[in-house]
Amino acid sequence: MPRQIIHVDMDAFYASVEIRERPELADRPVIVGGRPQGRGVVAAANYIARRFGVHSAMPTSTALRLCPEAIVLPPRHELYAGVSLQLHAIFQRYTPQIEPLALDEAFLDVTGSIGLFGPAEKMAREIKQAVWEELQLVASVGVGPNKYIAKLASDIDKPDGFVVVVEGDVAAFLAPLPVSRLWGVGKVAVKTFDKLGIRTIAQLRGYSPQLLRQHLGSSGEQFLRLASGIDERPVISEHEAKSISNETTFAVDISDARILHQWLQALTGQVAYRLRAQGLKGRTVQLKVRLADFTTLTRSHTLPEPTDITAEIGQAVQFLFNERLPRPLPPVRLLGVGVSKFAAEEQHQADLFVSAERERQQRLDALMDRMQSRFGKRAIRRGKDPASG
Amino acid sequence: MKFKISREALLKPLQVVSGVVEKRQTLPILSNVLVCIESDRLTMTGTDLEVELTASAPLQGAESGEITLPARKFMDICKSLPDGAELDISIDAQRALIRSGKSRFTLATLPANDFPATEKVTGAREYSLQQSILKHLIEQTHFCMANQDVRYYLNGLLLELRQNAIRAVATDGHRLALSEASLDLVPGDINQIILPRKGVSELSRLLSDGDQGCNIQLNANFIRVDLGEIVFTSKLIDGRFPDYDRVIPKGGDKIVKANRENLRQGLLRASILSNEKYRGVRLNFADNMLRATVNNPEQEEAQEELDVSYSGEEIEIGFNVSYLVDALNAIKQDEVEIILIDANSSCLIHGEGDDSSRYVVMPMRL
Repeated sequence: MPRQIIHVDMDAFYASVEIRERPELADRPVIVGGRPQGRGVVAAANYIARRFGVHSAMPTSTALRLCPEAIVLPPRHELYAGVSLQLHAIFQRYTPQIEPLALDEAFLDVTGSIGLFGPAEKMAREIKQAVWEELQLVASVGVGPNKYIAKLASDIDKPDGFVVVVEGDVAAFLAPLPVSRLWGVGKVAVKTFDKLGIRTIAQLRGYSPQLLRQHLGSSGEQFLRLASGIDERPVISEHEAKSISNETTFAVDISDARILHQWLQALTGQVAYRLRAQGLKGRTVQLKVRLADFTTLTRSHTLPEPTDITAEIGQAVQFLFNERLPRPLPPVRLLGVGVSKFAAEEQHQADLFVSAERERQQRLDALMDRMQSRFGKRAIRRGKDPASG
Repeated sequence: MKFKISREALLKPLQVVSGVVEKRQTLPILSNVLVCIESDRLTMTGTDLEVELTASAPLQGAESGEITLPARKFMDICKSLPDGAELDISIDAQRALIRSGKSRFTLATLPANDFPATEKVTGAREYSLQQSILKHLIEQTHFCMANQDVRYYLNGLLLELRQNAIRAVATDGHRLALSEASLDLVPGDINQIILPRKGVSELSRLLSDGDQGCNIQLNANFIRVDLGEIVFTSKLIDGRFPDYDRVIPKGGDKIVKANRENLRQGLLRASILSNEKYRGVRLNFADNMLRATVNNPEQEEAQEELDVSYSGEEIEIGFNVSYLVDALNAIKQDEVEIILIDANSSCLIHGEGDDSSRYVVMPMRL
């Protein structure tokens, strides 16, 4: 029996959450992002703003030129993380096999739940409905026999999409789509396909693996498999995951250390939140930095003991950023923070100083988690969110 | 610039300053030593931007000037010359010419002005004390410093100058060492500085055991220790050391006395079978007896029974065995006292009847 995978992707997530908090903005173009003065970037825009050509990762100043009447709101990441947790609570009614891709996006493997809840299509519809009724937010949902198809399905009719692709329809569903829809096809591969006269996935299927390998290397065969709708990758839930990480790509490469630090703090908050939500503690903190020239640097630091405390992970991230990167640091394209080496705390060395401070930080984290999951109308956030930049 | 010097007179200060020059440097000039010539004195300086060492030697009838020379090559040349050789060194057109007997070397130089030497430690307070006291304090504590900890202020040694005592404290967060010596310092506020790891090891190498004195200058950013022919300067760690006094256990009522060497040997034997990563040892104290038990993931086990003097209630407590052995290695007395509170609290170890050096070790949950 084929697998049944659901992909849920929230529509204009940050912007929708903000509009839900302030319904008076519903009919206006809304941008969530950094301030235009501070080289801020659009994190999300609602569909009204998108009609003006605004899209995420665009500099806020450019966005305001395209759409001068847009309302710009500072991002409140911890609020969105709280909503994300509620979203996951809905998913968990149907399956424990949940692989989050971002705060607002996840794969669900519901193959094992069909006996309990009925066909995948029914579960997907119920999830979409529950998200609307309980969270007043719109999700685009796709159902397919694997992750690739499910993700394409949720995207194809966005916003407010609902597309089910059963196994027998996969070939027909893929055929008219442009090759750029294949996972892993970037600008370079598109050019190569162009030269070969390949525009659509249907055309690609006609080519031999040998020819594709000749032009595209080993990824040629991978493209061919995807073009035939084959994707064996399993849904990996956070319980099975070896690490938890969040990353963000900037539209404009950022050099300003202050802005980068603010993003690091936001990413740290998201990762720590997910750790706590999963009851995991990790020992290794990883920083990922992609520079303007696409060089990717990863630096990791092992802590004396496993943690899920925002401040401790943040300290390690700051250490890695300040001490372990080349200086002067070229402009940065992407930042990521991750925690791995989840530890069973069997043998545990007590610490002389941390105890009191840890307890304080744990209370602080727990308080913030509670406030966010209640959707704090005035949800608190830490001092240096990108929002304040 | 021009001077003559014997191989031996040059080699000693050159070896001292080369110690701090790292082989791979980001800035080319940091692989060089600064050579300053006054009519009767040669002064050489090496730095890694954190620790700077200056050493000098007397000269006769030199032509003054200053230049920087590649440290390693300069030293290799000097070392490879025969004993008692005389060197004749001069600078001509940005090249250093070294002549000795029938040997002749031309070395590339870099201008002295580019060398990042510390000028003066301004606004400093000064203290004088015996070198051996400082050396002892470092030896008693340095092994507890953290290494590359995120809490960067733990990656060094706290020196605390009080009105009538000097203290050294090191901790990696799991254990702590404190050593103090009483002496009459200049009255004033308590002065706390954190000397980075590298500075600690360089300084302890230079200090002598005898009764020679040294002069210490301190300001907010630097420490300078003047040892006569050698001057050591280090940046300080800019951070607040944790309140160490708070974590030194007070009023523990379970007091164990043991022969230091017996205990040390017993723990070392047991540690062979400890978990390589966690190094846990389980200690059971009861009626004049200590049982140390160690297990590892391969289900192997070691057990040592040791005679101690103890009459309190039975207690079982786990520790990292290396932390205990490190403390026992540092203590000088033949008998040690171990003071415990309960299985979840830190223990205090010091030599019997002498708590000038104290060791605090946090337990492990085994």
